[in-house]
Amino acid sequence: MTPGDIAAFAQGAVVTVALSVAGILIGLPVGLGLALIRWGKVPVIGRLVALYVSILRATPLVTLLLLLFFALPNVGVPIDPYSAAILALSMNTSAFNCEIWRAALLAFPKDQLEAAMSVGMSAGLRFRRIVLPQIARASLPALVNEMSLLIKVTPVLAVVGVVDITRAAVRIGAETYEPLPPFLVAIALYAPIIFGLVSLQRFIERRHAAAEAA
Amino acid sequence: MIHDFGIVWNERGLLMSGLANTALLSVIAAVVSLLLGAALAPAMMSRRRAVAGAARAFVDAMRCVPFLLFAYIVYYGLPSLGINFDNWSAGLAALMLYNTAYMAEILRGAWAAMPREPIEAGTAFGFSGVRLFRRIILPGLVLSAGPVVGNQLIQIIKDSAFLTIIALPELTHAASSIQSRYYVPFAAFITAVALYWGLCLVVEGGVNVLRRLADARR
Amino acid sequence: MNALPHPVLNVVGVSKSFGALKVLSDISFQVGKGETVCVLGPSGSGKSTLLRCINWLEKPDAGHVYLNGEPVGVTSAGVVMNDHRLSQIRTRIGMVFQHFALWPHLTVLQNLIEAPLQVQRRPKAEIHEEALALLAKVGLEDKRDAFPARLSGGQKQRVGIARALAMRPDLLLFDEPTSALDPELVGEVLVVMRDLAHEGMTMVIVTHEMAFAREAATRVLFLDRGRMVETGTPDQFFSRPATERARQFLQRYAAEAVTAQR
Repeated sequence: MTPGDIAAFAQGAVVTVALSVAGILIGLPVGLGLALIRWGKVPVIGRLVALYVSILRATPLVTLLLLLFFALPNVGVPIDPYSAAILALSMNTSAFNCEIWRAALLAFPKDQLEAAMSVGMSAGLRFRRIVLPQIARASLPALVNEMSLLIKVTPVLAVVGVVDITRAAVRIGAETYEPLPPFLVAIALYAPIIFGLVSLQRFIERRHAAAEAA
Repeated sequence: MIHDFGIVWNERGLLMSGLANTALLSVIAAVVSLLLGAALAPAMMSRRRAVAGAARAFVDAMRCVPFLLFAYIVYYGLPSLGINFDNWSAGLAALMLYNTAYMAEILRGAWAAMPREPIEAGTAFGFSGVRLFRRIILPGLVLSAGPVVGNQLIQIIKDSAFLTIIALPELTHAASSIQSRYYVPFAAFITAVALYWGLCLVVEGGVNVLRRLADARR
Repeated sequence: MNALPHPVLNVVGVSKSFGALKVLSDISFQVGKGETVCVLGPSGSGKSTLLRCINWLEKPDAGHVYLNGEPVGVTSAGVVMNDHRLSQIRTRIGMVFQHFALWPHLTVLQNLIEAPLQVQRRPKAEIHEEALALLAKVGLEDKRDAFPARLSGGQKQRVGIARALAMRPDLLLFDEPTSALDPELVGEVLVVMRDLAHEGMTMVIVTHEMAFAREAATRVLFLDRGRMVETGTPDQFFSRPATERARQFLQRYAAEAVTAQR
């Protein structure tokens, strides 16, 4: 591999990580917001959120990405590949995160809320001090799992021209007529990140199990 | 906009054939990977360390590799080793192999969570071999693993969309080609999204039936 | 005791080890038709293992088991039986489990019908009729279409007993049938077992229920640390235990039995 190739991979890695982080950072709070809307049983919007989440969880990322990238300019909203990528990633992961947060909210013991209300805590305070810390802890393994899944779908961003690890590998393979080695390098870049997240998830699950047993 | 949907409606043949290909691809991949996974799961639990180690290594490897990258390797990379696939075979092979690992992990988890005493009772009452498996073990596995396998099928349906990149004529590819020919991106892709959603609802319907059967017995 | 001419169960020299731990040492005994044999002993004495060696759920390391003269698990030539032959013999030995072991995906009635239909291949109408009669006998005919998860522990165990009886076994094995039950549910199960004993069913029961053993057993086997230390009629064992180990055991359990009765 030439130094140019290494540079291309490094650049691709930066793009992959940056886009993934952006997607994760946006998707976490948006997912929480959607979950809260459904949990609060807000009349019309709650139903819309349920529909949105159901559709997005059924939609392949590539289809969503192509929809956003080609349809938005058509209705007068210009969008570049990287913004389309972040938007698609965020929409996708926020839908899955919504279900994760919602499961934790539904499992939250009501009597703790009643106890908080009876000592006069406001809704905001109740949420911040009582609910959020616990649901964050309970949701952590599933959220980390979702992060690893997000990284695993980023290769498809190349289809709108984003130059990530996979795109770099494809390009180098096309130039050298030896597609296999760059793909293996790409795996060597993706796998540790994903494996790190999977290990983190297992570690958290073990810590939780130990805490329950104690 | 209505005009755009009119164009999409005219091209519904292409979309339907794409949908059919997506469904076919997904179902075949799911069934085959479930069967292969059922063979791999016992290997993962084998007492022979080499066998268990190899099986678990395969499962962990598939878990850490993005599917699209794996599909690329099967389609573009293997020819350099002399193995040539057309895009259908590559896509199907990639889906089957990749998901074998996930199905094996699902089945392994379901088996580990199954209570042992009812199975032992089966043995004590004279059940053995295939009969023990079919009448005593399998129903429990189907009820507990069924919903998770259903979710994996949904995942397979979505992964199949990646194969548009190797020009496999599935649903997203069909929508893409309609879009690029007639410049109707919104209509084409929204229709595709609606069709994926429909597929997903069908699978979830089946999963809910299993869930209800399981809940009655819990 | 003197050897019986045609014992239903003949256990000869059974030994079993788990790794370095010797759980059973050279156990021999016979059970005649209609007898109710209670196997007693402290925890870890090997009682359950002995029971499970009878139908070869555990493979004895040494010794033989005979059901009505027929060898179980190992043929007289010393060859380990194939699954099919072992299954056939097991259909004649009924077993009731500590944790009930009902098949959760089947209703109560289906639980009773399953093995007679699938393994014994008896006619469906006959099995169905018998199953309903057995459910009536244990007082659960109104639960026939319920799933096991909806039953109480005592109800589940009564279904377990009916399920074993549905096989028309020559011998019934009970592995601590009431140990997993809440105290107030124990009685309903013991009533069924006592009635079975009086009807002449051949039974081997591993239990901690001393009062039941004293009342319903025709013979008591006392196991301690894998050895058969003492055997005799309930009267002999409970009133005039011959060995020191038996005396210690009874002292400990007598106190518990008295407080339980209150």
